[in-house]
Amino acid sequence: MSAHPHTRAAAREKRFRPISYTLVFLMMACIVLTLSVLVRSLLPDWHAEIMAGILLFILLDRLYIHKQLQSLTPLSSEWVVTLGAQWVVIALVSRFLLSFANGPASLTDDLSHWVRGSLGTLFTAEFVITLMLAATLWVLTTQFLNLLDEIGLDMKAALSEEPVHTRTDIVPAHQRMVNLTFTSGIVLVILTALTRLNLQTVISNSSGLPLMEWSRFSGAEAGALLYFVFGLALMSLSRLMSLQTHWDRLRIPVSSSNLPRQWAMYSLVFLIALAVVVSLLPAGDSLGFFAVLGTLVGFLVNVLIFLSQLILGLVLMLLSLPFVLFGKTPPGIVNSEPPPMPVFPQVPEATPYSNATFELIRSILLWGGLILLLVYSLIRFVRQHDSLLAALRRNRITNWLVLAWQWLYRNVDRTRASLTQAIANGWQRVVSRLGSNRLLPRPGWISLRSLDPRRRVYFFYLAMVRRAGEQGLARGPSQTPAEYASHLEQAVPSVKEDIDALTQAFIEARYSRRNIDKAKASFVKATWERIRPALRGKTKENRSETK
Amino acid sequence: MSGSFLPLLMVLLLLAAFMRGDFALTLIYLVVGALVSGMVWSKRAMTQVRTQRRFQGHAFLGEKIKIDLHVQNTGWLPVPWLELRETLPVALVGPNSFQSVIHLGPHGESHFEYSVEARKRGYYPIGPLSVSTGDILGLRESLQAVMLAEHLVVYPKIIPLTSLKIPSHSPQGTLRHTLPLFEDPARTFGKRGYVTGDSLRRVDWKASASTGQFQVKVFEPSIALETCIILNLNAEDFYYRSRIDSIELAVVIAASIANWITANKQMVGLMVNGRDPLMADGRPQTIPPHKGKRQLMRLLETLARVDSIDQSPLAPLLQEQRYQLGWGTTLIVVTGRAEDKLIHELYQARRGGQNALLILAGMDASDEASLRQAYAFGIPVTAIASERDLSLWMQKSSRA
Repeated sequence: MSAHPHTRAAAREKRFRPISYTLVFLMMACIVLTLSVLVRSLLPDWHAEIMAGILLFILLDRLYIHKQLQSLTPLSSEWVVTLGAQWVVIALVSRFLLSFANGPASLTDDLSHWVRGSLGTLFTAEFVITLMLAATLWVLTTQFLNLLDEIGLDMKAALSEEPVHTRTDIVPAHQRMVNLTFTSGIVLVILTALTRLNLQTVISNSSGLPLMEWSRFSGAEAGALLYFVFGLALMSLSRLMSLQTHWDRLRIPVSSSNLPRQWAMYSLVFLIALAVVVSLLPAGDSLGFFAVLGTLVGFLVNVLIFLSQLILGLVLMLLSLPFVLFGKTPPGIVNSEPPPMPVFPQVPEATPYSNATFELIRSILLWGGLILLLVYSLIRFVRQHDSLLAALRRNRITNWLVLAWQWLYRNVDRTRASLTQAIANGWQRVVSRLGSNRLLPRPGWISLRSLDPRRRVYFFYLAMVRRAGEQGLARGPSQTPAEYASHLEQAVPSVKEDIDALTQAFIEARYSRRNIDKAKASFVKATWERIRPALRGKTKENRSETK
Repeated sequence: MSGSFLPLLMVLLLLAAFMRGDFALTLIYLVVGALVSGMVWSKRAMTQVRTQRRFQGHAFLGEKIKIDLHVQNTGWLPVPWLELRETLPVALVGPNSFQSVIHLGPHGESHFEYSVEARKRGYYPIGPLSVSTGDILGLRESLQAVMLAEHLVVYPKIIPLTSLKIPSHSPQGTLRHTLPLFEDPARTFGKRGYVTGDSLRRVDWKASASTGQFQVKVFEPSIALETCIILNLNAEDFYYRSRIDSIELAVVIAASIANWITANKQMVGLMVNGRDPLMADGRPQTIPPHKGKRQLMRLLETLARVDSIDQSPLAPLLQEQRYQLGWGTTLIVVTGRAEDKLIHELYQARRGGQNALLILAGMDASDEASLRQAYAFGIPVTAIASERDLSLWMQKSSRA
């Protein structure tokens, strides 16, 4: 990767711009879907579908003119003119489309109002809300696009020659993108919840607290869910772009030529795996992932087809106006009614889980998560308020509680250790008693690895005693280890030092509380390995003497 | 964690609690799953990355040292990106250090080879290598691990000397000497007729039997040159305008002399008062005189590492250490300035049976009086202002 950073950035821009714009469009489309469902549920008389179409149209327009707007100086005359022209057209188209949705007569009425100059009548609540939603969507899309430029799509902004220490905001730009995605997500989730709230019951219950009644599915859930899926995909892309910009600025060469391809593959696998896991987890009335995807695609196709039909009808109607002016009958097509409203695709509901286990897991996950979040928030709160922490420390009751906890912890720990030791000793005693009574079969092998260093020392010493006993050098019942050692040393003088060392190690392990480490056990093992052949030699001597 | 993640989670949990699960719970799974799996992935990726650096830890001046960096992913989980940044000393590579970005598939590995040039003697850290990675969503900050630095020793420059005249009074060595006082019985030079007073031990019985007259062996005089190079790196003892160059010259002189003495199979040791980065207290270890190549490498390593020090005069160190040197040892003091205390200490050494040679490296900053005192005490003084002077000194020595 020896190409110049600017060449790389240009290639990156060419590759990433269409993908990132598509993802932003899809995310915004999800928001539009939710908004239209909300409008439909709140105000069924309004043309939610037309509003959705207008919003999508504005969204496409915003994406299309972004580069052009970026080239203009903000608040310059050219910028104001360009933006003004955009919004005049948007407002006009929105107004005429909303009028036309009520029929050609409504459009003609509105046009006559327009001609007479009574503009106030044109600003209906539906139109104003549509414009406000359009403006919100415009601003939100602008924010996403600006952040993408800052992260790496805009080569000039990304690779400006400012000193590195002042340009440490590239990673924060990605963080801002994450924050923006999540913040929009919060609003979207709340809107989705509102779409499921049965407002009739809320309004009808005038006394006391309003009665909340939730319907099962509104169709907006698909929008919320897919918004997050596309949002995660955008985050992944943004992360790659921010890292590449960072590496370009610091002139760090990327040795793996296929990094973006691999990144895309990993992201795809990651998101699919996540979607699969999420769809497998118990969530009550679950939504199928592909069914949700189908819902969004269906919504987009329906709205766009409807919108194109509407625009075509509107254009033809405008073309027919000169015929009316000259007293001629316009072609029949013009008089046709606006196309039928698109039907919102319904999310196919999966069968609710009736399994009690799933219900239990779901409850545990839900309430466990809530409790964890509360505990985490509480800890964070206490940590953020140092004075509170200090006051708690100073407080006698808290102090006493802390001391009591420490005392309890220490005692429990001590008791646990004693109990473990007692059980181990008891087990050893039982085993040895059973072994001496031949109640248990004598084990063929002892696994040295399972013994601790102290017991390993015992093992090697007892091995020496046993082997020496086999050679006729049995340990007397009254002999201390030291006495027995001197007896052995006389019999096998060639390993005098080793016998002494092994006996010393045994005495230390058996009668002292000193810690016996692995090194000591290894040393004893090495000593025993020197003693063993010497004892074997003793056997040969005995045999030759017998002969 | 992203700032708006917690509020989102809170809203979702509240909705899930109100609405008894369903879509809010699905969203919780999705968002928390993305965060947790991303976190686990990046942590796991970091723990399964192994890095190994291989290079020759020692180099002579001008050599190019190849550094082989091996990065391996020991697990099945791929590492989407790995940023490697090696910190290298400016003296070896200039301002750019080695850095690269790679991606490692399951059990993937990557090799890098870069080189540094030994331009200046010293003890240089190669590294630390900073390894960064993170999740693909960027929900968490990048994780960083550091592979500790390893060290490269660049030996000082050695000027090959063919001949040097260094005073010694140690008898029975391997160097020829003119004084008959240091006759070596292992080096029979010839035979002559017996004269009264000759020791019977010197009689060559075989030659006496064949000639019919008493013949005695004539031995060649020889000396053993047991030397200790005493290098003064006290910064105040060097002329301030050329301090850095003079100190480097002093090190070159010490290294060249050590090399010459070792080549002549003599014993050489080293005593320095500088700062050694390898020692816990920063004081370089005194190396007692020994023979052989291994000893030379020890000396060169110390000379490579040591650096100048402030407020650490040589005379007290010499006073403390010279008693541990044997009788007849030659003390070659390489310094920037000869001060009274040092001259006095060298005089005491002479009185104790040791020899002294004073070499003034760089621009001479000594007092005339001190130098005169040195001459008066019979301590030879040589001034070497540059590496060229070192060659001239050698030629002068060979002519003498």
